[in-house]
Amino acid sequence: MSSSILARVPWQSPAIDYHAIAPEIVLAGGICLIILVDLFISESRKWITASLAGFVMLGALLPILTLAVSDSDVRTMFDGRYVVDEFALTLKALFLVAGYVVVLLSQNHVEEGDYYQGEYYTLLLTSVTGMVMMASSRDLVSIFVALEFLSIPAYMLAAWRKRDRKSNEAGVKYYLLGVFASAVMLYGMSLLYGVTGSTLLSEIGSRLTVEGQFGGVEALGITFVVIGFAFKVSAVPFHSWAPDTYEGAPIPVTAFLSVASKAAGFVALVTLVYVGFPRAQDVWQPFIWVLAAITMTFGNLLALRQSNIVRLLAYSSISQGGFILMPLAVAGTGDAAGPALQAVVVYLLVYAAMNLGMFAVVITVSRTTRSGEISSLGGLFSYAPALGVLMTIFLASLAGIPPLGGWIAKFGAFRAVLEAGSGWAYAIAVIGAVNSVVAFGYYGNIMREVWMKPAPHGETTTVRTPSSLVAALSITVVGTLLFGILPGTIMRFGDLVDLTGAFGG
Amino acid sequence: MDVLRDQNWVLSAGTFLPLVGVLVMLFIPKAEEELSKLVALLTAVATLGVGVYTLTQFDFDQADKLQFFADAEWIKVISSNYTIGLDGMSLPLYFLSMVVTVLVMIYSWNHIPSPGNPKAFLILMLILQTGMAGTFVSQDLILFFVFFEVVLLPMYFMIGVWGGEQRQYASLKFFLYTMFGSALMLVAFIALFFKVRGALPEGVEASFSIPQLVEYGGLLGRSAQIWIFGGMFVGFAVKVPMFPFHTWLPDAHTQAPTQGSVILAAILLKLGTYGFVRIAIPVLPEAAKEWAPWIGLLAVIGIIYGALGCLAQTDMKRLIAFSSVAHMGFVMLGISTLTPMGFNAAIFGMVAHGLITGMLFFIAGSVKERYHTLEIARLSGMLKQIPKLGWILGFCAMASLGLPGLAGFWGEFPAILSAYSPAVGLPEETFRTFMVIAALGTVFAAAYLLWLFQRTAFGEPKPEFAGGDHGHGAHGDDGHGDDLHDVNIFEWIAWTPFLIAIVVFGVYPQLMFKVIDPAVQVALRAFGG
Amino acid sequence: MFAAEAAAEVHASTGWFLEHAWLIPIIPAVAFALIIFFGKRMPMKGSEFGVASMFASLVLAVGAAWQWIQRVDGASSVAHSAVEEGAYHSAPFVGPIIREWTWWQSGGVEFGIGQHIDGLALTLLVVVAFISSLVQVYSLEYLRGDRRYTHFFAALTLFSAGMLGMVLAPNMVQLILGWEIMGLCSFLLIGHWWEEEANSRAALKAFFTVRVGDVGLLVGTGILFFSANSWTQENLGVSGFNISGLSAWAMSGAASQSALTWGAVALFVACIGKSGQFPLHTWLPDAMAGPTPVSSLLHSSTMVVAGVFLVGRLYPVFWEGMKIGDTNINFIVLIGGITIVIAALLAFVQHDIKKVLAYSTVSQLGYMMLGLGAGAWIAAIFHIFTHAFFKACLFLAAGSVSHSGSHHSFDMKKDMGGLAKKMPITATTWIISTLALAGVFPLAGFFSKDEIIDNVGHNGYNAFMIVGLSGAFLTAAYMTRATYLTFFGESRGAAAGEHHDQDGAHAVHDDHGAHAVHDDHGAHAAHDDHGAKGPHESPKLITVPLMILAALAVVAGLANATPFGSNWERFKKYVEPSSEYVMVESASASGPGESIVVPAAEEGAKKEGCATVAPDEGMVCYFPTVSHAKFKWSKAALSLVIVALGLVSSWLFCIQYYTRRDRRLVGLTERNTVLRGGYKVLWNKYYLDALYETVIVRAVAYPISRAAYWLNQNVLDGIVNTVGKVARRVAGWVYRNIDQRVVDGAVNGSGAAARGSGGVLRPVQSGKVNQYGALLFAAAAIGALILVIINT
Repeated sequence: MSSSILARVPWQSPAIDYHAIAPEIVLAGGICLIILVDLFISESRKWITASLAGFVMLGALLPILTLAVSDSDVRTMFDGRYVVDEFALTLKALFLVAGYVVVLLSQNHVEEGDYYQGEYYTLLLTSVTGMVMMASSRDLVSIFVALEFLSIPAYMLAAWRKRDRKSNEAGVKYYLLGVFASAVMLYGMSLLYGVTGSTLLSEIGSRLTVEGQFGGVEALGITFVVIGFAFKVSAVPFHSWAPDTYEGAPIPVTAFLSVASKAAGFVALVTLVYVGFPRAQDVWQPFIWVLAAITMTFGNLLALRQSNIVRLLAYSSISQGGFILMPLAVAGTGDAAGPALQAVVVYLLVYAAMNLGMFAVVITVSRTTRSGEISSLGGLFSYAPALGVLMTIFLASLAGIPPLGGWIAKFGAFRAVLEAGSGWAYAIAVIGAVNSVVAFGYYGNIMREVWMKPAPHGETTTVRTPSSLVAALSITVVGTLLFGILPGTIMRFGDLVDLTGAFGG
Repeated sequence: MDVLRDQNWVLSAGTFLPLVGVLVMLFIPKAEEELSKLVALLTAVATLGVGVYTLTQFDFDQADKLQFFADAEWIKVISSNYTIGLDGMSLPLYFLSMVVTVLVMIYSWNHIPSPGNPKAFLILMLILQTGMAGTFVSQDLILFFVFFEVVLLPMYFMIGVWGGEQRQYASLKFFLYTMFGSALMLVAFIALFFKVRGALPEGVEASFSIPQLVEYGGLLGRSAQIWIFGGMFVGFAVKVPMFPFHTWLPDAHTQAPTQGSVILAAILLKLGTYGFVRIAIPVLPEAAKEWAPWIGLLAVIGIIYGALGCLAQTDMKRLIAFSSVAHMGFVMLGISTLTPMGFNAAIFGMVAHGLITGMLFFIAGSVKERYHTLEIARLSGMLKQIPKLGWILGFCAMASLGLPGLAGFWGEFPAILSAYSPAVGLPEETFRTFMVIAALGTVFAAAYLLWLFQRTAFGEPKPEFAGGDHGHGAHGDDGHGDDLHDVNIFEWIAWTPFLIAIVVFGVYPQLMFKVIDPAVQVALRAFGG
Repeated sequence: MFAAEAAAEVHASTGWFLEHAWLIPIIPAVAFALIIFFGKRMPMKGSEFGVASMFASLVLAVGAAWQWIQRVDGASSVAHSAVEEGAYHSAPFVGPIIREWTWWQSGGVEFGIGQHIDGLALTLLVVVAFISSLVQVYSLEYLRGDRRYTHFFAALTLFSAGMLGMVLAPNMVQLILGWEIMGLCSFLLIGHWWEEEANSRAALKAFFTVRVGDVGLLVGTGILFFSANSWTQENLGVSGFNISGLSAWAMSGAASQSALTWGAVALFVACIGKSGQFPLHTWLPDAMAGPTPVSSLLHSSTMVVAGVFLVGRLYPVFWEGMKIGDTNINFIVLIGGITIVIAALLAFVQHDIKKVLAYSTVSQLGYMMLGLGAGAWIAAIFHIFTHAFFKACLFLAAGSVSHSGSHHSFDMKKDMGGLAKKMPITATTWIISTLALAGVFPLAGFFSKDEIIDNVGHNGYNAFMIVGLSGAFLTAAYMTRATYLTFFGESRGAAAGEHHDQDGAHAVHDDHGAHAVHDDHGAHAAHDDHGAKGPHESPKLITVPLMILAALAVVAGLANATPFGSNWERFKKYVEPSSEYVMVESASASGPGESIVVPAAEEGAKKEGCATVAPDEGMVCYFPTVSHAKFKWSKAALSLVIVALGLVSSWLFCIQYYTRRDRRLVGLTERNTVLRGGYKVLWNKYYLDALYETVIVRAVAYPISRAAYWLNQNVLDGIVNTVGKVARRVAGWVYRNIDQRVVDGAVNGSGAAARGSGGVLRPVQSGKVNQYGALLFAAAAIGALILVIINT
């Protein structure tokens, strides 16, 4: 019957707040620009595209800043399907900065590997655009569009090293499984639409109560949607693509996937949970609880066995994902909604900083060692103390040791969980606590290589660090330290009321 | 809570000054070893200077109040502040940490363990210093936690990089153990925060401030208290370490470089006991009463058990390490009585153990340096070859076995006494049994220490080391082996303060008790202390 | 202070020496520091500090004693004039001079350090200072040229400081302090020649055994402190450590009997350890490994009486705790009695002259304990006094023998005999002291020992009177044996001038380390020609102290010569605290140098029977009423006869056995099973050492500690490591079999997985994608299913 409504109302174009979508516009323009420029510059000067991409990212940041300072807080468009609020702005900023750092990471890597630079950056920007859109989407359709928008370029990027079978394998796996996941998710979405008769999250939220005759169907829908994003954030048991893909893809891309696209997945998940299904917590809370528990546990256990650094980081990022899920698992209980959201956002920000930093170090070192094995890091501290210390900082931060960023992220998560104060909450808190110890097992193992082992085959040539990597490293390390020592600076960003409204919390 | 806020920059200065030194050292090229040593030493001395100034400015008549109290906004969102202050309980440990760092620096001047690289080594030591000092001054749970954790990594690397053969195993074990403890501890802290927030009266804003928690912690229900205390207990007990969480200690101590062992024994172990007296017990009196008998039990087990462990050792350093388990047992026994006398004894015991065992580790290090072994069976007749070192060992052994007139006694004797009449509500018979067992522990202490002394210092030197020594004449102390030189100048400078302190505190314990007592009385208000 | 004077004017003079008695231990303490830091640079290697300080302390002690006598006389005269004649059942109350300074406070309790001067303290002060001085002089010669001469004097001086400090301790804490310092010095001095393991072992054993007893000291102090503290605080304003406080509390009738009993028992355990009572006496004979001056100072006359002193010092506590008042057997009497006999018997089978003396000391200490346990307080303390002189003399004489007579050997059978002619002075002093020890009238021993036996009987402990008498017989007998073997009969070994070689020397005698340092023993050169020209009399520095002590061994007894009427009982008058109820005037004993105020005698209600009747309100009592036996020549005659029997029979036996080698006696112990068994038991010291060393100590030191350590490494640590291992195992298994092989364990998958786990490059296998996909869908289906079910 909704169709008949459409029939009667004459169509008029919706009012568009250009200031609000300025970031997306800048990005879109940037994409076109790079494609064009790429056509006309000679092979030797392709590096320009890289710098361009970087500038575009930063350029897109400007409107976000202006939006942040402009007093009109929440800007909605398309009757609430596209919203620009603090939450959206914070995460857009995160994506752009992350994207910028990835560009810095990629520069030499792509250049020296003489991959197709122009296309590379185009795709990167496209994917980032998708993420930026995702942050604002409040509608099943726009969410799905944004998701594909950010995923498809990522599939290609994963397979970028096209002469390398591993890279192809990575791309193929990522693509196929991604498609499967999308299918499942779409199915879920259609069910939800069928039950509630709307794709607008807020409406779904108001209509969706897992009771009455549709209860089962709704549960099914919710589950499938959640699974779709569980795949994106590589939660166990939907993680199986991650290690192979991460290992196969070019390292900058891996960094990009493990940080940005994971974050995007979480953004969607948060939006859905907070706006879409606030009243269906009985469905998703237990589900996410289980996901969180097994994700952090398995991720850690598996990471213990890795000898390849990238693969190890893959599993570590899986378990980190578990920690990010942890607060969501209790978001519906008591008045934990606010802290939980805060915890997730803060964790995403900190995680981006330290994980990108970690990849930056790995890239820098592997430029000399030409190896991804952990053992190749032996004696790093002795011949490249600066890098050694940086790596230690990032590892310690990932392990959540004060006073580095990681601890405040974990702290926030624990705090949110304990705020909920239910039995389940305490249970997962303890699981998390134990896991944070296990995690040190492998982080410490790397540190041990760096500090205590001798350099393999006396490899002690000083590592040359290109300027772009220096920049990336300094950005990330400053972030990591700052967040850790003055957590107030970052906790502010997590202080978001707009989304939690639905919980009445 | 009434506090003295004047000159509240002092503590921050004392805590973070070392980091300034670290920054400077970062710009010193690795090759300039002398320079980095110098800068590190100067930084430590400057820090000690601040400490001395703190000592002079400390109002000893109000030792029960928090002094130099500073309270700045830190993490507003989680209502945790940068709250620091110093009272009679923390002053001795705070100051001790500074002194020990300086002396260790001096010792390091010509004792940088392999593989060298003094720059990194000393930087780590300075970071340690910040962590230790910070822990003793912080009056906010989160701040406390942060500092408590800051010491982990430096010590991990100290053991792991500059340690003995099995350094990597030892360091990892140390780290995982402590981390496990502190993870649960953190959970307990947060849970405490929320529980207390729930119980707060109108108009009081919840925070992690320790004084506030002490004020309102009593409002919690018993079961909640017991669980939260359990979390903290694990965290602190691992650090102390209490039986059965002690197994990281012997490895860590044995593998760590001398400086590491000294700092570990002198300060790090105290973080745990300090946590008990500063946080766990005052904040959760009900739970403390429930747990006290069990803590006491573990403490006495630790005493006997550690002693037995010592008797089984063939390695001098490992023996000393195990003796720490026994000594901290006495400290914990004192704490578990929940009486002012017990607490005083405990805090005195912490400092005394810090001085004495620290000294013993210094000696072990120097013995290792001279004989290239610490195997007791191979050492003998030290008094003939290096008499000064030998007699210092004897002196410390006597101090460590609790000889009256030396510092060790005042930690041990009152602790044993206090166990006779624990706080109201604790099972007297149980604690009296503990008292007797602990008293027996002193016998064991005498046994393993004197046995050690007899086997290493007395007798004729073993042929393998007897080279070049025929101590003639009334002066037995002119024996010189190949590298068997007696105590050298750096060692003298580093050790003399320890030795003097051991005697001074032993002869006039009032020096410390006077400072501790009032603060302890306050801490135990909940028990009608 | 003023309070003290106020009280002083009333009835008893005090004086500078009494007020400043606390200096007595300070002086040697300072001297110790001087020796340690400057000793080696001094002309006499630091010994001058020691000797000087000891004489200084002696002067102060004597001065204080003199003023104390004044004080008592004054008090009694005042009292006499105040009250009509005959109203006295005992001497008027003369309060101790107590001064305490705050040493440390904890948990509201103040702990003092200072002095508690009364007859008992002064007796010990004088004795210790006196013997220490003589021994130090003696050591100047005896240890000349020793490689650790300075250390020796340092330790000796520190010991005196500790002992003196303990003796005038006003509270238990200070007493413990001195007690342990003595233990330390005993350790250092016994192990003085530590090059030989036997010596360091003996040192370890001594310290350790005493330490075992000290557990009782700590525990007992704790018990008493906490049970008494509140009472003493409110009635006397002193802490529960305060000695007079404890005494008053014990007598007050307010004390809980169980606390008293347990406290007393615990403390007595400490006394057993320190005073070498059965069954912890085994360390004392081994302690003879130390240089002879040490044996004569620490291990006969002074340190080992610390235990006796403690009992005497806290007598009210023991009196009430052990129920000494009634005539039932109590712990102290029992231990004392046993010790007397077993030690005396052991003395018979020793070859080492010093060990004979050691066991004799143990047995004499037994007498003192017996006396205290049976309520013969004054007699026991008096025996400390007399025993100190003749036992010190005996040891120094033995040292003199080995120094100049037997070439550093102490073996009576191998290296002595017939020395009387060669060393007349030594021999004479020895014999005098022996007779004194045996208790021959009118030598010192008679008055004290007979007094003990007499009072033990008088107080109803008849059985133990027999023990005492038999002990007297045995004492006389074994001392005669020792005397005969050393000074009479034909000369043997070194005494005959033979110069036996090193190994022989070692074989002969292990526990005298001098051999170890022979090569650099400065005095050795001298000794060779001793060896050459044979035994001779010792030089003055040795003989003079001997003569002084011998003289005292003769006259000391007259200080309390009961047989000559009550005027002669000076000890009783000046030393025994009076058992009067006295008024508690002011009760503030805190702050520098204030003192518990003791009121004038007349204020005390004249009422008999401290410890029998509870005192009235506001009254306290510091000492129980002990009754004194009336001296009867008949009883004395009995014991004298017994002693004579002992001397004579033993003398005859020795002649028959050692000189005539009488067939019927020689080898009797081989022929007669009973005797053989007895001999064996004695020779093995009742197997006590075997029990301690081979059973208990070994068990703890080896199996038990090993077991504990094993537990640590394999169980506790094992758990930790296992957790780690298991985690890695599980991780590996999960990784290979679940994560990599996913749903169907494809055959090829496994191999790939094995390599995969190493992270090596794996060929693309689309099969994996199928598996992954399958996993994805399966998980989705299952998850959905479960959630649907639980939600509908």
